[in-house]
Amino acid sequence: MQEELASSLSKKLLEVGIEGKVSNLEPLTGGASKEIWKFEVSNAKQSIKMILRRGSGIEGPLAIKTADEARIQKEVIKVGAPVPIILAVSKSEEELGDSYIMHFVEGETIARKILRDEEYKKALPVLAYQCGEAIAKVHNVDIDNFSFLPNKPAEDQLEDLYATYQSFDQPSPVFEYAYLWLKEQDFSNFQESLVHGDFRLGNIIVNGEGLQSIIDWELAHIGNPLQDLGWVCGNSWRFGNNDKVVGGFGELEDLLEGYNSISKFQVNKEMVKCWQVFGTFRWGVICLIQAYAHLNGTINSIEKAAIGRRVSETEIDIVDLLFLGGE
Amino acid sequence: MIFDRPTSSELIKAVMDFLDTKIKDELPPHLAFKLRITNNVLGMVQREIDQGEQLSEEVIKVMSDVIKSDDLTTKELSNLIKNGDLDLSDEGLKNLLILLSKNKIAVDNPNYSTYKKLIK
Repeated sequence: MQEELASSLSKKLLEVGIEGKVSNLEPLTGGASKEIWKFEVSNAKQSIKMILRRGSGIEGPLAIKTADEARIQKEVIKVGAPVPIILAVSKSEEELGDSYIMHFVEGETIARKILRDEEYKKALPVLAYQCGEAIAKVHNVDIDNFSFLPNKPAEDQLEDLYATYQSFDQPSPVFEYAYLWLKEQDFSNFQESLVHGDFRLGNIIVNGEGLQSIIDWELAHIGNPLQDLGWVCGNSWRFGNNDKVVGGFGELEDLLEGYNSISKFQVNKEMVKCWQVFGTFRWGVICLIQAYAHLNGTINSIEKAAIGRRVSETEIDIVDLLFLGGE
Repeated sequence: MIFDRPTSSELIKAVMDFLDTKIKDELPPHLAFKLRITNNVLGMVQREIDQGEQLSEEVIKVMSDVIKSDDLTTKELSNLIKNGDLDLSDEGLKNLLILLSKNKIAVDNPNYSTYKKLIK
């Protein structure tokens, strides 16, 4: 199987003028529904490390086409957002399937390593500011270039999430309460932007200096930029560091200072809160979607089964945010 | 129960110990990650067997003070909230939702940061 893959990769790379022998193919733990392969391409002159990111054909209902992720990265790199350089894109009907090849960026994605290992000690204090700058560059990009992406206003997303939750017939009093609370919030103050949709540790590459790349664009859409800021400030993505509001590593003030230094749209602390609740509810519904993919027999998977019991994490985060002064 | 020891809880503990001591180090990294999840899942099952009944009863008892219904289930509570039958600013309702959330996470993941913060 690996020989076949290596041969498909060589062929694809040759189409874009990159000649060489593909070796050291290694599967990486990627998202739940993507294949990620690291490999090397060597010729007489050099050896380059690359990544293949490929859709499995069983992505969740929220995901965009894998090849479209590459189109986004090609655009945002032009305005200086840190993303890996795209080398080749393959459509569903091609030999490689719905996928793309990009430069391998040295660094770490695994949240627990970034938060604990000595190597990243110096990066953590500057990471929130850097994340603010980087995501502001993404949000500043001209959205006319992204007509292929779905437009998802907060109100529509909320209704979709609620309908999805209801379809599973697993009633949650906390979700019902959160839904009614969110319906009362004012989501109208924003500038329509490209939204990453899953901006957090796990989907960024970090080295000893700090942020290197934003990856995993499968939930990208056009919408409210505050969604990305609320998402990275959700407790679901703090990996145990409850008191570090931004991703388990930083302070909200630093994130916003970095953000406002670049963004055309200025954001203050109060604007983020309802998006934390929104993000937490959204993650809860995504957990349900994943769990029911297992329960319905679509995919038999221990990870997906386990994630069903993470819904309660989002419930306790919601009651903490709404009733107990949680940040 | 007509069944002998080891109890279901003790059997699960034995499986967890086996996976942790004999299997974990034999696995390549991507499977070791799945084994960690497997162990977490078994832990949930064990806690639900050991504490599930008491944790549920606690919630149902408080629920009986908050809702006027014979049907003391999370489904009924969800419907009452959805249909606007409960005052969302009522402290009793809020405290019930807090207790419900705490007791669920106590089984699903007692190491979860928000839970640890709240029971301090």
